Amino acid sequence: MFIGFFYQLKEAGIPVSPTSFLTLHKALSRGLIASLDDFYTASRATLVKSERYFDLFDQVFAHHFEGAELPDFTGVELDELARSMLEEWLKDPKTLAAALGVDESEISKLTPEELIEYFKERLKEQTERHEGGSKWIGTGGTSPVGHSGYHPGGMRVGGVSRNKSAVKVAMERRYKDHSLSGPLSQAMIGEALKRLRHMIPSGPKDRVNVDKTIYQTMKNAGEIEIVFDRLLKDRLKIIIAIDNGGWSMEPYVHLVQTLFDYARAQFKDIKTYFFHNTIYETIWHDTSRFKRPQKIDEFARLDSETRLIIIGDASMAPYELMATNGSIHIEERSGKPSIECLKFLVKNFRHSVWLNPIPSNMWGYTQTIFAIGHILPMFELSIDGLEKAVAHLMAK
Amino acid sequence: MTNDKKSFSGAKHYVLDDELAKIVNISMELEMPLLLKGEPGTGKTMLAHAIAETLGMPLIVLNVKSSMKLIDALYQYDTLTRLNDSRFGDSKRDVSNIEEYIKMGKIGQAFTADKRTILLIDEIDKADTDFQDDMLDVLDQMEFDIIEIDKTITAKHRPVIIITSNAKKDLSDPFLGRCNFHHIAFPDPKMMRKIIKVHYSDIDSDLMENAVNVFYRLRELESIEKRPATRELVNWIRALKSDPDFKPRDLVKGDIPYLGILFKKSPDYARAINTVSRRRII
Repeated sequence: MFIGFFYQLKEAGIPVSPTSFLTLHKALSRGLIASLDDFYTASRATLVKSERYFDLFDQVFAHHFEGAELPDFTGVELDELARSMLEEWLKDPKTLAAALGVDESEISKLTPEELIEYFKERLKEQTERHEGGSKWIGTGGTSPVGHSGYHPGGMRVGGVSRNKSAVKVAMERRYKDHSLSGPLSQAMIGEALKRLRHMIPSGPKDRVNVDKTIYQTMKNAGEIEIVFDRLLKDRLKIIIAIDNGGWSMEPYVHLVQTLFDYARAQFKDIKTYFFHNTIYETIWHDTSRFKRPQKIDEFARLDSETRLIIIGDASMAPYELMATNGSIHIEERSGKPSIECLKFLVKNFRHSVWLNPIPSNMWGYTQTIFAIGHILPMFELSIDGLEKAVAHLMAK
Repeated sequence: MTNDKKSFSGAKHYVLDDELAKIVNISMELEMPLLLKGEPGTGKTMLAHAIAETLGMPLIVLNVKSSMKLIDALYQYDTLTRLNDSRFGDSKRDVSNIEEYIKMGKIGQAFTADKRTILLIDEIDKADTDFQDDMLDVLDQMEFDIIEIDKTITAKHRPVIIITSNAKKDLSDPFLGRCNFHHIAFPDPKMMRKIIKVHYSDIDSDLMENAVNVFYRLRELESIEKRPATRELVNWIRALKSDPDFKPRDLVKGDIPYLGILFKKSPDYARAINTVSRRRII
């Protein structure tokens, strides 16, 4: 039973295992599941093991049991497009109807939900074949929404009963926020940075080392000698350098702020510096990059085990990175091109990464991202990227 | 659900949604651990207490710590006492009988208890992955060995296991494979009102409406490190109720007292005070 459903989940990219499927069947065979609602709850609890997939699960469930539209490759954009079309429609139905080549009066009978569905269908056809014109009018008989048949809008119409049906619950997509594409929150950052630890013995010798005690006691022929050790403590030193200048970093301020807040709370030995676009001979302690400069040459004195994390979009004019005196700030005349300064830092701190808030699929379009990525490893400022960055920082 | 088995349907101080009740009952019936995730303050730990209270089962809580090893949760061999006894011999324990020096850990206690217990494993994400996997092995087989006395402890009754995790990151696959999973979402205003009703049955409806509205608006403030959760709201309402000078109308006007109960971190508190004093919240 429900094998089709199982494979649909799998195809949608939810990691479902056969074992958990068997568990679900165990529940079925014991009569624990009496209704579709029960089945929804039970199948989700047994098959799906992360809230990130709840949203996807809801969609597949609604599709399988009610024939709701399964979001495919183009799903999200289509959603958005259809929604904006709806807004357009509400403002000016005539023009849009004319543009689609349909009768205005026919569309105006539909509810907003149906309209969205209707638009989505149209859009999909449009992306598939560019024929336009006569193709627009629906082929599915009386319902203008054609083959999707039992569409979501229809289900909400009769929604008087107090208990929501499972499909309806699934339709609501309550877990959208948790899906993989969600924004990076502090808890996620915390989770990723947790691995960033460097345990070193410190403090008073107040831990009994049982193994050594036994060994020593035996060596003394039974005369007890208790061996104490120091406690292991996290002594990781971290330097964070943040690009806080210019409009190009503006959209990411919130994200960086979250990371920074967390890091400050979590690590004792952490230094924060600021720069604009890229690092020259000086970086600053203060956010206005004016009062408290710090020569990067002096970093040579610091522990080479210090982890260096640079956060910035790495997007600038190529000369800023490559040319001597490339800085866009007139007072910043170092004599060394920024790229040399970065190389110096990387040589000094063997564990260093660059975190970039720009999605990695966009990196190819910016020359300087490419160039910096060659000097030190660059990771995306996302959960995945952060985890990879931490793995790199902790590598031996 | 068969009739002779007890099933769970909520407790005195816990508002349960149907979905979660179903999952709890299914997990109990299938004898599988239930893994609960969700924001802090959504009542993950409370759930275990509520189940224990309703079903009249003893609750054993294992608070996981980052330094914890699996063996700590199973049993402890008290070598120091034994060493002491063997040197000075001033106790009634039989030094040659190692079993007298074995103390059960939380999982051990749950296994050896005389009736079925609820075992709450709280904040499992604090421990490392090895701990988690090894523990699940033990919970799967319902037995473990005490190496020192070469004895196998088998569970007399399979405990009901509730595991909580705050982490956004997933636990390891083998671990997840053995649990049922549920994510408790932060309660919506409707649910929140029910929760407050449970705590304060006599609450004035104006106060509740206004407090809940303000609470959800305050939660939406930007750049807040620790957003107030259910626990904070319940305490806040208690403070509001006990203040004789306070009137629910004040909240609508933008006079929001006792922000310190809602915001526990000083930057958050400052931000909240700032926003409220500028009347941006209403």
